[in-house]
Amino acid sequence: MAEFLEDPSVLTKDKLKNELAANNVPLPSGEHKKEVYVQLYLKNLTVLNNKKSPPADTFSSDEELPAPVVSNKSRSGRKATKKTDKPRTEEVEVTDLTDEDLKQQLAKHGVDSGPIVATTRKLYEKKLQKLLDQPPAEPEAPTDVTALPKADSNQNGNTNSDQYSDKEDEEIAAPEPEPVPVVEKPVRSRGKAPVTSRTSSRRQTKVVEEIIVEETPKKASESVVEDILANEISTPTGISATCRRPIRGAAGRPVKPSEYWLDESHVQHTVLTETRSYSESFSRPGSSISSSKAPARRGVLSLLLKLLLLIVVGGSLYYAYQNLDADQINTLKGLVDSVVVPLQGAVENAATYLGISSSSNGATESAGN
Amino acid sequence: MSTTSQKHRDFVGEPMGDKSVTALSGIGEILGKKLEEQGFDKAYVVLGQFLLLKKDTEMFTEWLRDASGANSRQAGSCAQCLREWCDAFL
Repeated sequence: MAEFLEDPSVLTKDKLKNELAANNVPLPSGEHKKEVYVQLYLKNLTVLNNKKSPPADTFSSDEELPAPVVSNKSRSGRKATKKTDKPRTEEVEVTDLTDEDLKQQLAKHGVDSGPIVATTRKLYEKKLQKLLDQPPAEPEAPTDVTALPKADSNQNGNTNSDQYSDKEDEEIAAPEPEPVPVVEKPVRSRGKAPVTSRTSSRRQTKVVEEIIVEETPKKASESVVEDILANEISTPTGISATCRRPIRGAAGRPVKPSEYWLDESHVQHTVLTETRSYSESFSRPGSSISSSKAPARRGVLSLLLKLLLLIVVGGSLYYAYQNLDADQINTLKGLVDSVVVPLQGAVENAATYLGISSSSNGATESAGN
Repeated sequence: MSTTSQKHRDFVGEPMGDKSVTALSGIGEILGKKLEEQGFDKAYVVLGQFLLLKKDTEMFTEWLRDASGANSRQAGSCAQCLREWCDAFL
């Protein structure tokens, strides 16, 4: 089969354009009738066809035949027969590719291709063709974007993990040894030789262990706080999965059993922190009890106040009662006076007259009362 | 594709077994004949092609249109019934 059609008018206008463009034939600017492209095709491509005709002679049958040939090719030598493979493929490049190359090209463009076999190859060729030339600007930028993140994500993942593990190592090794200078040297010397997460975890646990043994928990928490701060400063995002571990482990925060590490030291440590947190939680209820006692005391106080008030009221009442008695007496006395005074005056007059004032006084008083 | 044909339901409802390619939704006698000419005589052969394309509906419809001359509705219907069959039985 010839590479270019003898009668290009069977092709659609778009296909004509594509073929012309693919073969570096300058297209007239703007839109034209199909006839224009057909003429261009005949002039530029069909002429080439005649030059190439000797090798293409062997496939001078119509389109029906190449299909089985393709299936044979996909299994056997591809490159030799590929060039004369399909009459309608726009670019020789795509059809020239081997299965693996085609797959790689597709992968480059972000297409996750399945197996490229006889029945699927044509489709994938088309797809790649579309990706390659249909919108040359658009898909390639996105495909680059899609292709790059893959590599980047890997790199990022690697570098990040390295970074984090490294930094954790150094920062745990650096700030913590300050309080414990004895620990510092072995840790550092170990820390710089192998940089893997495994060793880092080992070192961490060792450091933590030594902290537990040698330091007070306060110091540990302080140094760990320093760690956190250092980590946050050093990591650009401030987000790192690993730097939270020491926080829970060392900073005296309550540690859930699910977050235990397998290391004994850490378990011990967490137990320590747990006991601490327990003590805290116990002390907290105590304080809360005292705070709850405060209202109770207030109740007691109010009771006492009430009692006091009662006593005061009672006392005042009693006092008033007593006073009232005196008053009553006074008033009574007043009454008595008002009633008795004339009588008394008369009696006194009579008594003074008779000379028995005192006795008569008592008599009048008894009478008045 | 919101409504499904009786043919679709029949196909998706049971294992395809040895069904002919025309049992596929969207594939009538004419398209079936064209597919048979190309060696896709059974529904499972078409399923094989569908699976080779990693169940990519878009690619499959494109292939079906090329291979059998189906229109996009027919091809889409066939792809949908194959996909649902896969969801149910694969």
